[in-house]
Amino acid sequence: MNAFSGELFKTARRPAVWVCVIALLAVAVTIGYFIPWLVYSHPPPGASQGLPKGTTLADFKVTLYPLNFVRQTLQQWGVLGGVFALILGVLLQGSEYGWATIKTLYTQRDGRLVMLAGKLGALAVVVLVLVVGLFAVDAVASTGVALIDGKSVSYPDAQTIVQGLGAMYLIYGFWALFGFALATLFKQSAMAIGLGLAYALVIEGIIFGVIGALGGDWVKKVQEWFPIANTGYLTNSFGQARIRDLPTTQPYADATHAVAVLFFYVIAFVVVSAVTLKRRDVTN
Amino acid sequence: MIAPAPTRVPATTSAGEAVVETRGLTKHYGNGIIAVDDLDLVVRRGEVYGFLGPNGAGKTTTLRMLLGLIRPTSGTASVVGGEPGSPASLSKVGAIVEAPAFYPYLSGYDNLRLLAIYCGVPLERVNAALDQVELTPRARHKFSTYSMGMKQRLGIAAALIKEPHLLILDEPTNGLDPQGMADVRNLILGLGKGDRTVLVSSHLLGEVEQMCTRIGVIQKGKLVAEGTIDDLRGAATLSIRAEPAETAMSLLAAEAGADHVTRLPDGTFNLKVELKRSAELNRKLVQAGVEVSELHASERSLEEVFMELTGTESGL
Repeated sequence: MNAFSGELFKTARRPAVWVCVIALLAVAVTIGYFIPWLVYSHPPPGASQGLPKGTTLADFKVTLYPLNFVRQTLQQWGVLGGVFALILGVLLQGSEYGWATIKTLYTQRDGRLVMLAGKLGALAVVVLVLVVGLFAVDAVASTGVALIDGKSVSYPDAQTIVQGLGAMYLIYGFWALFGFALATLFKQSAMAIGLGLAYALVIEGIIFGVIGALGGDWVKKVQEWFPIANTGYLTNSFGQARIRDLPTTQPYADATHAVAVLFFYVIAFVVVSAVTLKRRDVTN
Repeated sequence: MIAPAPTRVPATTSAGEAVVETRGLTKHYGNGIIAVDDLDLVVRRGEVYGFLGPNGAGKTTTLRMLLGLIRPTSGTASVVGGEPGSPASLSKVGAIVEAPAFYPYLSGYDNLRLLAIYCGVPLERVNAALDQVELTPRARHKFSTYSMGMKQRLGIAAALIKEPHLLILDEPTNGLDPQGMADVRNLILGLGKGDRTVLVSSHLLGEVEQMCTRIGVIQKGKLVAEGTIDDLRGAATLSIRAEPAETAMSLLAAEAGADHVTRLPDGTFNLKVELKRSAELNRKLVQAGVEVSELHASERSLEEVFMELTGTESGL
Protein backbone atom coordinates (compact mmCIF):
# COMPACT_ATOMS: atom_id res chain seq x y z
CA MET A 1 0.00 0.00 0.00
CA ASN A 2 2.93 2.35 0.74
CA ALA A 3 4.33 1.71 -2.72
CA PHE A 4 0.96 2.48 -4.32
CA SER A 5 0.49 5.66 -2.25
CA GLY A 6 4.00 6.82 -3.12
CA GLU A 7 3.53 6.18 -6.83
CA LEU A 8 0.21 7.97 -6.80
CA PHE A 9 1.76 10.89 -4.91
CA LYS A 10 4.48 11.47 -7.48
CA THR A 11 2.32 10.67 -10.52
CA ALA A 12 -0.36 13.16 -9.49
CA ARG A 13 2.29 15.88 -9.18
CA ARG A 14 3.92 15.20 -12.52
CA PRO A 15 3.05 17.85 -15.12
CA ALA A 16 3.82 15.56 -18.07
CA VAL A 17 1.07 13.16 -17.00
CA TRP A 18 -1.56 15.89 -16.96
CA VAL A 19 -0.30 17.35 -20.22
CA CYS A 20 -0.83 13.94 -21.79
CA VAL A 21 -4.33 13.51 -20.32
CA ILE A 22 -5.48 17.03 -21.14
CA ALA A 23 -4.04 16.83 -24.65
CA LEU A 24 -6.16 13.76 -25.45
CA LEU A 25 -9.29 15.36 -23.99
CA ALA A 26 -8.70 18.56 -25.96
CA VAL A 27 -8.05 16.64 -29.16
CA ALA A 28 -11.15 14.50 -28.56
CA VAL A 29 -13.41 17.54 -28.36
CA THR A 30 -11.72 19.42 -31.20
CA ILE A 31 -11.25 16.65 -33.74
CA GLY A 32 -14.05 14.41 -32.54
CA TYR A 33 -16.82 16.99 -32.29
CA PHE A 34 -15.99 20.59 -33.08
CA ILE A 35 -14.40 20.18 -36.53
CA PRO A 36 -16.86 17.47 -37.74
CA TRP A 37 -19.80 19.60 -36.58
CA LEU A 38 -18.39 22.60 -38.48
CA VAL A 39 -17.90 20.52 -41.63
CA TYR A 40 -21.31 18.84 -41.42
CA SER A 41 -23.05 22.14 -40.66
CA HIS A 42 -21.23 24.19 -43.28
CA PRO A 43 -20.08 21.70 -45.90
CA PRO A 44 -17.68 23.03 -48.50
CA PRO A 45 -19.01 23.05 -52.08
CA GLY A 46 -19.05 19.59 -53.63
CA ALA A 47 -18.47 17.88 -50.31
CA SER A 48 -21.47 15.59 -50.80
CA GLN A 49 -20.08 14.15 -54.03
CA GLY A 50 -19.40 10.47 -53.68
CA LEU A 51 -22.08 9.99 -51.04
CA PRO A 52 -25.08 7.77 -51.83
CA LYS A 53 -27.91 9.52 -53.53
CA GLY A 54 -30.05 11.56 -51.16
CA THR A 55 -27.41 11.58 -48.44
CA THR A 56 -25.70 14.80 -47.36
CA LEU A 57 -22.97 15.52 -44.90
CA ALA A 58 -25.56 16.93 -42.52
CA ASP A 59 -26.92 13.39 -42.17
CA PHE A 60 -23.68 12.41 -40.46
CA LYS A 61 -24.43 14.76 -37.58
CA VAL A 62 -26.32 11.92 -35.98
CA THR A 63 -22.95 10.38 -35.04
CA LEU A 64 -22.24 13.46 -32.93
CA TYR A 65 -25.39 13.30 -30.82
CA PRO A 66 -25.45 11.91 -27.27
CA LEU A 67 -27.13 8.63 -28.23
CA ASN A 68 -23.99 7.70 -30.16
CA PHE A 69 -21.31 9.15 -27.91
CA VAL A 70 -20.15 5.77 -26.54
CA ARG A 71 -19.55 4.15 -29.93
CA GLN A 72 -18.20 7.43 -31.30
CA THR A 73 -15.64 7.64 -28.50
CA LEU A 74 -14.61 4.02 -28.86
CA GLN A 75 -14.30 4.06 -32.64
CA GLN A 76 -12.50 7.37 -32.85
CA TRP A 77 -10.10 6.97 -29.96
CA GLY A 78 -9.54 3.27 -29.47
CA VAL A 79 -6.31 3.34 -31.46
CA LEU A 80 -5.45 7.03 -31.72
CA GLY A 81 -6.06 7.67 -28.03
CA GLY A 82 -4.19 4.47 -27.25
CA VAL A 83 -1.01 6.27 -28.25
CA PHE A 84 -1.54 8.65 -25.32
CA ALA A 85 -1.99 5.68 -22.99
CA LEU A 86 1.23 4.20 -24.42
CA ILE A 87 3.05 7.44 -23.63
CA LEU A 88 1.70 7.40 -20.06
CA GLY A 89 2.92 3.85 -19.56
CA VAL A 90 6.33 4.77 -20.92
CA LEU A 91 6.54 7.94 -18.81
CA LEU A 92 5.80 6.20 -15.55
CA GLN A 93 8.49 3.59 -16.02
CA GLY A 94 11.02 4.99 -18.52
CA SER A 95 11.70 8.16 -16.56
CA GLU A 96 12.90 6.12 -13.58
CA TYR A 97 15.81 5.04 -15.76
CA GLY A 98 16.33 8.48 -17.29
CA TRP A 99 16.59 10.13 -13.88
CA ALA A 100 18.35 7.11 -12.35
CA THR A 101 15.65 7.14 -9.65
CA ILE A 102 15.21 3.40 -10.10
CA LYS A 103 18.04 2.92 -7.59
CA THR A 104 16.36 5.32 -5.16
CA LEU A 105 13.13 3.42 -5.60
CA TYR A 106 14.67 0.02 -4.94
CA THR A 107 16.65 1.04 -1.86
CA GLN A 108 13.72 2.21 0.24
CA ARG A 109 11.96 -0.65 1.98
CA ASP A 110 9.75 -2.86 -0.13
CA GLY A 111 11.00 -5.41 -2.64
CA ARG A 112 10.98 -4.87 -6.37
CA LEU A 113 7.74 -6.71 -7.08
CA VAL A 114 5.90 -4.72 -4.43
CA MET A 115 7.25 -1.50 -5.93
CA LEU A 116 6.15 -2.73 -9.36
CA ALA A 117 2.67 -3.47 -8.05
CA GLY A 118 2.50 0.05 -6.62
CA LYS A 119 3.52 1.56 -9.92
CA LEU A 120 1.04 -0.54 -11.90
CA GLY A 121 -1.66 0.51 -9.45
CA ALA A 122 -0.85 4.17 -10.08
CA LEU A 123 -0.84 3.55 -13.83
CA ALA A 124 -4.25 1.89 -13.54
CA VAL A 125 -5.59 5.00 -11.79
CA VAL A 126 -4.13 7.34 -14.42
CA VAL A 127 -5.60 5.26 -17.25
CA LEU A 128 -8.95 5.24 -15.48
CA VAL A 129 -8.82 9.05 -15.24
CA LEU A 130 -7.97 9.18 -18.95
CA VAL A 131 -10.86 6.90 -19.94
CA VAL A 132 -13.47 8.48 -17.68
CA GLY A 133 -12.28 11.95 -18.71
CA LEU A 134 -12.54 11.03 -22.37
CA PHE A 135 -16.07 9.69 -22.03
CA ALA A 136 -17.05 12.69 -19.91
CA VAL A 137 -15.81 15.31 -22.38
CA ASP A 138 -17.34 13.42 -25.28
CA ALA A 139 -20.67 13.21 -23.43
CA VAL A 140 -20.56 16.95 -22.73
CA ALA A 141 -19.51 17.77 -26.31
CA SER A 142 -22.24 15.59 -27.81
CA THR A 143 -24.80 17.21 -25.51
CA GLY A 144 -23.59 20.63 -26.64
CA VAL A 145 -23.91 19.64 -30.30
CA ALA A 146 -27.44 18.32 -29.75
CA LEU A 147 -28.49 21.48 -27.90
CA ILE A 148 -27.05 23.74 -30.59
CA ASP A 149 -28.84 21.73 -33.28
CA GLY A 150 -32.07 21.67 -31.27
CA LYS A 151 -32.14 17.86 -31.14
CA SER A 152 -33.33 15.72 -28.28
CA VAL A 153 -30.75 14.90 -25.64
CA SER A 154 -30.95 11.18 -24.99
CA TYR A 155 -28.08 8.99 -23.90
CA PRO A 156 -27.29 5.32 -24.36
CA ASP A 157 -28.50 3.10 -21.53
CA ALA A 158 -26.32 2.73 -18.45
CA GLN A 159 -25.23 -0.79 -19.42
CA THR A 160 -23.86 0.43 -22.75
CA ILE A 161 -22.01 3.26 -21.03
CA VAL A 162 -20.46 0.91 -18.47
CA GLN A 163 -19.54 -1.60 -21.16
CA GLY A 164 -18.02 1.20 -23.23
CA LEU A 165 -15.97 2.41 -20.29
CA GLY A 166 -14.84 -1.14 -19.58
CA ALA A 167 -13.88 -1.77 -23.20
CA MET A 168 -11.90 1.44 -23.45
CA TYR A 169 -10.23 0.74 -20.10
CA LEU A 170 -9.08 -2.63 -21.40
CA ILE A 171 -7.86 -1.11 -24.66
CA TYR A 172 -5.95 1.71 -22.95
CA GLY A 173 -4.73 -0.72 -20.32
CA PHE A 174 -3.20 -2.79 -23.11
CA TRP A 175 -1.56 0.30 -24.63
CA ALA A 176 -0.27 1.61 -21.30
CA LEU A 177 1.21 -1.74 -20.32
CA PHE A 178 2.72 -2.13 -23.78
CA GLY A 179 4.55 1.16 -23.19
CA PHE A 180 5.44 0.15 -19.63
CA ALA A 181 6.94 -3.17 -20.75
CA LEU A 182 8.90 -1.54 -23.59
CA ALA A 183 10.30 1.09 -21.20
CA THR A 184 11.28 -1.67 -18.77
CA LEU A 185 12.99 -3.73 -21.45
CA PHE A 186 14.88 -0.83 -23.02
CA LYS A 187 15.46 1.12 -19.79
CA GLN A 188 14.44 4.39 -21.38
CA SER A 189 11.52 6.40 -22.72
CA ALA A 190 12.52 7.50 -26.22
CA MET A 191 13.14 4.03 -27.61
CA ALA A 192 9.98 2.69 -25.97
CA ILE A 193 7.73 5.35 -27.51
CA GLY A 194 9.44 4.98 -30.87
CA LEU A 195 9.09 1.20 -30.94
CA GLY A 196 5.50 1.33 -29.69
CA LEU A 197 4.50 3.69 -32.47
CA ALA A 198 6.51 1.76 -35.03
CA TYR A 199 4.71 -1.43 -34.01
CA ALA A 200 1.29 0.17 -34.34
CA LEU A 201 2.04 1.84 -37.65
CA VAL A 202 4.35 -0.62 -39.37
CA ILE A 203 3.57 -4.10 -38.07
CA GLU A 204 -0.17 -3.93 -37.57
CA GLY A 205 -0.78 -0.93 -39.79
CA ILE A 206 1.18 -1.24 -43.01
CA ILE A 207 2.31 -4.87 -43.06
CA PHE A 208 -1.08 -6.40 -42.25
CA GLY A 209 -2.73 -3.83 -44.51
CA VAL A 210 -0.56 -4.71 -47.50
CA ILE A 211 -0.41 -8.47 -46.93
CA GLY A 212 -4.10 -8.54 -46.12
CA ALA A 213 -4.91 -6.96 -49.44
CA LEU A 214 -2.85 -9.57 -51.27
CA GLY A 215 -3.10 -12.65 -49.10
CA GLY A 216 -6.76 -13.06 -48.36
CA ASP A 217 -8.37 -14.81 -45.41
CA TRP A 218 -5.35 -16.49 -43.84
CA VAL A 219 -3.91 -13.05 -43.06
CA LYS A 220 -7.12 -12.15 -41.25
CA LYS A 221 -6.83 -15.41 -39.27
CA VAL A 222 -3.31 -14.50 -38.17
CA GLN A 223 -4.29 -10.94 -37.40
CA GLU A 224 -7.02 -12.17 -35.06
CA TRP A 225 -4.31 -12.86 -32.49
CA PHE A 226 -2.64 -9.48 -32.69
CA PRO A 227 -3.62 -6.83 -30.16
CA ILE A 228 -4.39 -3.75 -32.20
CA ALA A 229 -6.66 -5.70 -34.53
CA ASN A 230 -8.53 -6.84 -31.44
CA THR A 231 -8.96 -3.28 -30.18
CA GLY A 232 -10.72 -2.73 -33.52
CA TYR A 233 -12.90 -5.83 -33.07
CA LEU A 234 -13.84 -4.68 -29.58
CA THR A 235 -14.80 -1.14 -30.58
CA ASN A 236 -16.68 -2.42 -33.63
CA SER A 237 -18.70 -4.73 -31.40
CA PHE A 238 -20.58 -1.64 -30.20
CA GLY A 239 -22.07 -1.31 -33.68
CA GLN A 240 -22.33 1.66 -35.97
CA ALA A 241 -24.54 4.72 -35.89
CA ARG A 242 -27.43 4.44 -38.29
CA ILE A 243 -27.08 7.15 -40.98
CA ARG A 244 -30.20 7.28 -43.10
CA ASP A 245 -30.28 4.11 -45.17
CA LEU A 246 -26.55 3.58 -45.42
CA PRO A 247 -25.58 -0.06 -44.88
CA THR A 248 -23.71 -0.96 -41.70
CA THR A 249 -21.01 -3.60 -41.53
CA GLN A 250 -21.06 -6.51 -39.11
CA PRO A 251 -18.17 -6.87 -36.63
CA TYR A 252 -15.48 -9.26 -37.90
CA ALA A 253 -14.98 -11.00 -34.56
CA ASP A 254 -17.04 -11.13 -31.41
CA ALA A 255 -16.21 -9.05 -28.35
CA THR A 256 -15.43 -12.08 -26.19
CA HIS A 257 -12.57 -13.09 -28.45
CA ALA A 258 -11.22 -9.54 -28.46
CA VAL A 259 -11.46 -9.23 -24.68
CA ALA A 260 -9.67 -12.56 -24.20
CA VAL A 261 -6.84 -11.66 -26.56
CA LEU A 262 -6.37 -8.20 -25.03
CA PHE A 263 -6.38 -9.70 -21.51
CA PHE A 264 -3.70 -12.11 -22.60
CA TYR A 265 -1.49 -9.24 -23.77
CA VAL A 266 -2.16 -7.25 -20.59
CA ILE A 267 -1.06 -10.19 -18.44
CA ALA A 268 1.88 -10.95 -20.72
CA PHE A 269 3.20 -7.38 -20.41
CA VAL A 270 2.87 -7.47 -16.61
CA VAL A 271 4.74 -10.78 -16.46
CA VAL A 272 7.49 -9.56 -18.82
CA SER A 273 7.94 -6.40 -16.74
CA ALA A 274 7.95 -8.30 -13.45
CA VAL A 275 10.46 -10.92 -14.57
CA THR A 276 12.74 -8.29 -16.10
CA LEU A 277 12.66 -6.04 -13.05
CA LYS A 278 13.13 -8.90 -10.63
CA ARG A 279 16.14 -10.38 -12.37
CA ARG A 280 18.00 -7.44 -13.81
CA ASP A 281 20.85 -5.65 -12.07
CA VAL A 282 20.37 -1.95 -11.46
CA THR A 283 23.56 -0.41 -12.76
CA ASN A 284 22.55 3.12 -13.72
CA MET B 1 29.22 25.81 8.45
CA ILE B 2 27.80 22.62 9.95
CA ALA B 3 30.36 21.76 12.61
CA PRO B 4 33.91 22.66 13.66
CA ALA B 5 36.79 21.54 11.47
CA PRO B 6 37.17 17.79 11.54
CA THR B 7 39.80 16.00 13.50
CA ARG B 8 40.86 12.42 13.13
CA VAL B 9 38.51 10.07 14.85
CA PRO B 10 40.22 7.77 17.31
CA ALA B 11 40.15 4.13 16.41
CA THR B 12 37.57 2.12 18.29
CA THR B 13 37.48 -1.48 19.16
CA SER B 14 36.46 -3.77 16.33
CA ALA B 15 34.87 -6.29 18.64
CA GLY B 16 31.26 -5.10 18.03
CA GLU B 17 28.50 -6.95 16.28
CA ALA B 18 28.93 -7.30 12.51
CA VAL B 19 26.48 -5.02 10.70
CA VAL B 20 27.79 -5.88 7.25
CA GLU B 21 29.36 -9.22 6.54
CA THR B 22 30.27 -10.70 3.19
CA ARG B 23 31.76 -14.07 2.44
CA GLY B 24 33.37 -14.73 -0.92
CA LEU B 25 31.26 -12.03 -2.55
CA THR B 26 31.94 -12.09 -6.27
CA LYS B 27 30.52 -10.33 -9.30
CA HIS B 28 31.42 -11.35 -12.83
CA TYR B 29 30.03 -9.57 -15.85
CA GLY B 30 29.31 -11.32 -19.12
CA ASN B 31 32.20 -9.61 -20.90
CA GLY B 32 34.72 -11.36 -18.67
CA ILE B 33 35.15 -8.47 -16.27
CA ILE B 34 35.50 -9.48 -12.64
CA ALA B 35 34.22 -6.45 -10.78
CA VAL B 36 34.40 -7.95 -7.28
CA ASP B 37 36.45 -11.00 -6.50
CA ASP B 38 35.92 -13.21 -3.46
CA LEU B 39 35.42 -10.31 -1.07
CA ASP B 40 35.28 -10.96 2.66
CA LEU B 41 34.25 -7.81 4.44
CA VAL B 42 33.14 -7.17 8.00
CA VAL B 43 31.86 -3.81 9.20
CA ARG B 44 31.00 -3.62 12.88
CA ARG B 45 28.41 -1.61 14.76
CA GLY B 46 29.41 1.97 15.49
CA GLU B 47 32.28 2.08 13.01
CA VAL B 48 32.83 4.69 10.33
CA TYR B 49 34.31 2.28 7.83
CA GLY B 50 36.15 3.73 4.86
CA PHE B 51 35.99 1.69 1.68
CA LEU B 52 38.98 2.91 -0.23
CA GLY B 53 40.11 2.15 -3.73
CA PRO B 54 41.02 3.72 -7.05
CA ASN B 55 38.37 4.36 -9.68
CA GLY B 56 37.06 1.10 -11.09
CA ALA B 57 38.33 -0.98 -8.17
CA GLY B 58 34.88 -2.41 -7.42
CA LYS B 59 33.67 -0.13 -4.61
CA THR B 60 30.36 0.86 -6.16
CA THR B 61 29.60 -2.67 -7.37
CA THR B 62 30.17 -3.94 -3.83
CA LEU B 63 27.90 -1.30 -2.34
CA ARG B 64 25.22 -2.01 -4.95
CA MET B 65 25.39 -5.70 -4.05
CA LEU B 66 24.95 -4.79 -0.36
CA LEU B 67 21.82 -2.87 -1.29
CA GLY B 68 20.40 -5.62 -3.49
CA LEU B 69 20.69 -3.52 -6.65
CA ILE B 70 23.16 -5.97 -8.18
CA ARG B 71 22.91 -9.71 -7.77
CA PRO B 72 26.23 -11.36 -6.85
CA THR B 73 27.56 -14.12 -9.08
CA SER B 74 28.57 -16.04 -5.97
CA GLY B 75 29.14 -15.53 -2.28
CA THR B 76 26.87 -14.34 0.48
CA ALA B 77 26.21 -11.10 2.25
CA SER B 78 24.30 -10.07 5.32
CA VAL B 79 23.34 -6.43 5.86
CA VAL B 80 21.93 -5.46 9.28
CA GLY B 81 20.90 -9.05 9.78
CA GLY B 82 19.03 -9.41 6.49
CA GLU B 83 19.61 -10.46 2.94
CA PRO B 84 20.70 -7.52 0.76
CA GLY B 85 17.70 -5.83 -0.84
CA SER B 86 15.19 -7.53 1.45
CA PRO B 87 12.66 -5.34 3.30
CA ALA B 88 14.19 -6.48 6.60
CA SER B 89 17.56 -5.12 5.53
CA LEU B 90 16.48 -2.06 3.54
CA SER B 91 14.29 -0.75 6.36
CA LYS B 92 17.43 -0.27 8.46
CA VAL B 93 19.72 1.06 5.76
CA GLY B 94 20.03 4.57 4.34
CA ALA B 95 22.10 4.93 1.22
CA ILE B 96 23.49 7.16 -1.47
CA VAL B 97 24.85 5.30 -4.47
CA GLU B 98 26.91 7.51 -6.77
CA ALA B 99 25.02 10.75 -7.55
CA PRO B 100 21.80 11.13 -5.53
CA ALA B 101 18.81 10.63 -7.85
CA PHE B 102 15.49 12.38 -7.25
CA TYR B 103 12.45 13.53 -9.21
CA PRO B 104 13.31 16.87 -10.83
CA TYR B 105 9.73 18.16 -10.94
CA LEU B 106 9.26 17.69 -7.19
CA SER B 107 10.65 19.97 -4.50
CA GLY B 108 13.28 18.71 -2.09
CA TYR B 109 10.56 18.48 0.55
CA ASP B 110 8.21 16.51 -1.68
CA ASN B 111 11.00 14.16 -2.72
CA LEU B 112 11.63 13.35 0.94
CA ARG B 113 7.90 13.15 1.61
CA LEU B 114 7.67 10.58 -1.17
CA LEU B 115 10.42 8.49 0.41
CA ALA B 116 8.69 8.79 3.79
CA ILE B 117 5.53 7.39 2.19
CA TYR B 118 7.46 4.53 0.60
CA CYS B 119 9.15 3.68 3.87
CA GLY B 120 6.10 4.20 6.05
CA VAL B 121 7.89 6.63 8.36
CA PRO B 122 6.13 9.63 9.95
CA LEU B 123 6.20 12.83 7.89
CA GLU B 124 7.82 14.66 10.82
CA ARG B 125 11.01 12.86 9.85
CA VAL B 126 11.08 14.90 6.63
CA ASN B 127 11.54 18.21 8.42
CA ALA B 128 13.98 16.69 10.88
CA ALA B 129 16.13 15.29 8.07
CA LEU B 130 16.02 18.60 6.18
CA ASP B 131 17.10 20.43 9.33
CA GLN B 132 19.89 17.96 9.88
CA VAL B 133 21.46 18.78 6.52
CA GLU B 134 20.52 22.49 6.74
CA LEU B 135 18.40 22.41 3.61
CA THR B 136 15.17 23.72 5.12
CA PRO B 137 15.38 27.20 3.50
CA ARG B 138 15.45 25.64 0.01
CA ALA B 139 13.20 22.68 0.78
CA ARG B 140 10.23 24.00 -1.20
CA HIS B 141 12.27 24.64 -4.35
CA LYS B 142 12.32 22.11 -7.15
CA PHE B 143 15.11 19.55 -7.09
CA SER B 144 16.04 20.51 -10.65
CA THR B 145 17.11 23.97 -9.38
CA TYR B 146 19.51 22.59 -6.75
CA SER B 147 23.27 22.97 -6.91
CA MET B 148 25.46 19.88 -6.72
CA GLY B 149 26.09 20.47 -3.02
CA MET B 150 22.40 20.81 -2.27
CA LYS B 151 21.63 17.63 -4.21
CA GLN B 152 24.24 15.81 -2.19
CA ARG B 153 22.81 17.14 1.06
CA LEU B 154 19.31 16.12 0.00
CA GLY B 155 20.75 12.68 -0.73
CA ILE B 156 22.09 12.48 2.80
CA ALA B 157 18.75 13.70 4.19
CA ALA B 158 17.04 10.95 2.18
CA ALA B 159 19.43 8.40 3.60
CA LEU B 160 18.64 9.63 7.12
CA ILE B 161 14.88 9.67 6.83
CA LYS B 162 14.52 6.10 8.07
CA GLU B 163 16.83 6.80 11.03
CA PRO B 164 18.90 3.91 9.72
CA HIS B 165 21.21 1.66 11.68
CA LEU B 166 23.57 1.63 8.73
CA LEU B 167 24.43 4.44 6.33
CA ILE B 168 26.00 3.47 3.02
CA LEU B 169 27.49 6.48 1.30
CA ASP B 170 29.17 6.06 -2.06
CA GLU B 171 31.62 8.89 -2.76
CA PRO B 172 29.45 11.40 -0.87
CA THR B 173 31.69 14.40 -1.61
CA ASN B 174 31.95 13.79 -5.35
CA GLY B 175 31.54 16.97 -7.35
CA LEU B 176 31.49 19.26 -4.33
CA ASP B 177 33.58 22.38 -3.85
CA PRO B 178 36.02 22.44 -0.90
CA GLN B 179 33.49 24.07 1.42
CA GLY B 180 30.82 21.55 0.41
CA MET B 181 33.27 18.69 0.95
CA ALA B 182 34.10 19.98 4.42
CA ASP B 183 30.40 20.33 5.26
CA VAL B 184 29.57 16.81 4.16
CA ARG B 185 32.62 15.42 5.94
CA ASN B 186 31.60 17.11 9.17
CA LEU B 187 28.09 15.85 8.76
CA ILE B 188 29.30 12.28 8.34
CA LEU B 189 31.52 12.63 11.39
CA GLY B 190 28.48 13.69 13.38
CA LEU B 191 26.34 10.88 11.98
CA GLY B 192 28.95 8.30 12.81
CA LYS B 193 28.88 9.11 16.51
CA GLY B 194 27.12 6.67 18.78
CA ASP B 195 25.71 3.37 17.65
CA ARG B 196 25.14 4.15 14.01
CA THR B 197 27.41 2.47 11.50
CA VAL B 198 28.64 4.31 8.43
CA LEU B 199 30.16 2.61 5.42
CA VAL B 200 31.62 5.29 3.20
CA SER B 201 33.44 4.70 -0.05
CA SER B 202 35.92 7.18 -1.38
CA HIS B 203 39.04 7.57 -3.40
CA LEU B 204 39.99 10.70 -1.45
CA LEU B 205 42.56 9.70 1.12
CA GLY B 206 42.45 12.88 3.20
CA GLU B 207 38.73 12.52 3.53
CA VAL B 208 38.94 8.91 4.67
CA GLU B 209 41.73 9.76 7.07
CA GLN B 210 39.62 12.43 8.75
CA MET B 211 36.38 10.48 8.93
CA CYS B 212 37.03 6.82 9.33
CA THR B 213 37.79 4.61 12.28
CA ARG B 214 38.76 1.66 10.09
CA ILE B 215 39.39 1.26 6.41
CA GLY B 216 39.44 -1.46 3.82
CA VAL B 217 41.40 -1.04 0.62
CA ILE B 218 40.01 -2.66 -2.52
CA GLN B 219 41.95 -3.13 -5.71
CA LYS B 220 40.77 -4.98 -8.81
CA GLY B 221 37.82 -6.31 -6.86
CA LYS B 222 39.90 -7.76 -4.03
CA LEU B 223 40.30 -6.50 -0.49
CA VAL B 224 44.05 -5.95 -0.27
CA ALA B 225 44.25 -4.45 3.23
CA GLU B 226 42.03 -3.74 6.19
CA GLY B 227 42.59 -2.14 9.57
CA THR B 228 42.79 1.16 11.37
CA ILE B 229 44.70 3.91 9.66
CA ASP B 230 47.50 3.55 12.20
CA ASP B 231 47.63 -0.20 11.55
CA LEU B 232 48.02 0.40 7.84
CA ARG B 233 50.61 3.10 8.22
CA GLY B 234 52.69 1.07 10.62
CA ALA B 235 54.58 2.59 13.55
CA ALA B 236 56.16 5.99 13.18
CA THR B 237 59.97 6.10 13.04
CA LEU B 238 62.46 8.62 14.33
CA SER B 239 64.71 10.28 11.79
CA ILE B 240 68.07 11.64 13.03
CA ARG B 241 70.92 13.39 11.21
CA ALA B 242 74.05 13.49 13.35
CA GLU B 243 77.87 13.80 13.11
CA PRO B 244 80.18 12.01 13.56
CA ALA B 245 78.14 9.23 12.06
CA GLU B 246 80.13 6.31 13.50
CA THR B 247 79.74 7.52 17.10
CA ALA B 248 76.08 8.21 16.54
CA MET B 249 75.55 4.76 15.00
CA SER B 250 77.14 2.89 17.89
CA LEU B 251 75.22 4.91 20.49
CA LEU B 252 71.88 4.54 18.72
CA ALA B 253 72.47 0.81 18.21
CA ALA B 254 73.17 0.44 21.90
CA GLU B 255 70.07 2.38 22.87
CA ALA B 256 67.51 1.07 20.36
CA GLY B 257 69.04 -2.24 19.34
CA ALA B 258 71.03 -2.73 16.15
CA ASP B 259 68.07 -4.25 14.33
CA HIS B 260 66.04 -1.11 14.86
CA VAL B 261 68.55 1.33 13.40
CA THR B 262 68.94 1.86 9.68
CA ARG B 263 71.46 4.17 8.09
CA LEU B 264 70.01 5.68 4.95
CA PRO B 265 72.11 6.62 1.88
CA ASP B 266 71.70 10.34 2.63
CA GLY B 267 73.41 9.84 6.01
CA THR B 268 70.32 10.01 8.21
CA PHE B 269 69.44 7.32 10.72
CA ASN B 270 66.02 5.79 10.88
CA LEU B 271 65.05 4.37 14.28
CA LYS B 272 62.11 2.18 15.18
CA VAL B 273 61.62 3.40 18.72
CA GLU B 274 58.85 4.90 20.74
CA LEU B 275 58.63 8.57 19.81
CA LYS B 276 58.54 9.61 23.47
CA ARG B 277 62.23 8.65 23.67
CA SER B 278 63.20 11.45 21.24
CA ALA B 279 64.35 13.90 23.89
CA GLU B 280 66.28 11.24 25.82
CA LEU B 281 68.13 10.06 22.69
CA ASN B 282 68.91 13.63 21.69
CA ARG B 283 70.40 14.31 25.15
CA LYS B 284 72.54 11.18 25.08
CA LEU B 285 73.87 11.97 21.61
CA VAL B 286 74.81 15.49 22.65
CA GLN B 287 76.43 14.25 25.89
CA ALA B 288 78.52 11.82 23.75
CA GLY B 289 79.81 14.75 21.71
CA VAL B 290 77.62 14.08 18.68
CA GLU B 291 76.18 17.10 16.88
CA VAL B 292 72.48 16.56 16.12
CA SER B 293 71.39 18.72 13.19
CA GLU B 294 67.99 17.13 12.57
CA LEU B 295 65.59 15.04 14.66
CA HIS B 296 61.97 14.42 13.74
CA ALA B 297 59.28 11.83 13.73
CA SER B 298 58.74 10.24 10.34
CA GLU B 299 55.38 8.73 9.49
CA ARG B 300 54.24 7.11 6.25
CA SER B 301 51.36 9.01 4.76
CA LEU B 302 48.14 7.16 3.93
CA GLU B 303 48.79 8.11 0.33
CA GLU B 304 52.08 6.23 0.39
CA VAL B 305 50.38 3.21 1.92
CA PHE B 306 47.56 3.39 -0.60
CA MET B 307 49.89 3.61 -3.58
CA GLU B 308 51.94 0.75 -2.22
CA LEU B 309 48.82 -1.40 -1.81
CA THR B 310 47.13 -0.55 -5.07
CA GLY B 311 50.18 0.11 -7.19
CA THR B 312 48.54 3.15 -8.66
CA GLU B 313 48.61 6.90 -8.51
CA SER B 314 45.46 7.30 -10.52
CA GLY B 315 42.20 8.05 -8.85
CA LEU B 316 43.78 10.04 -6.07
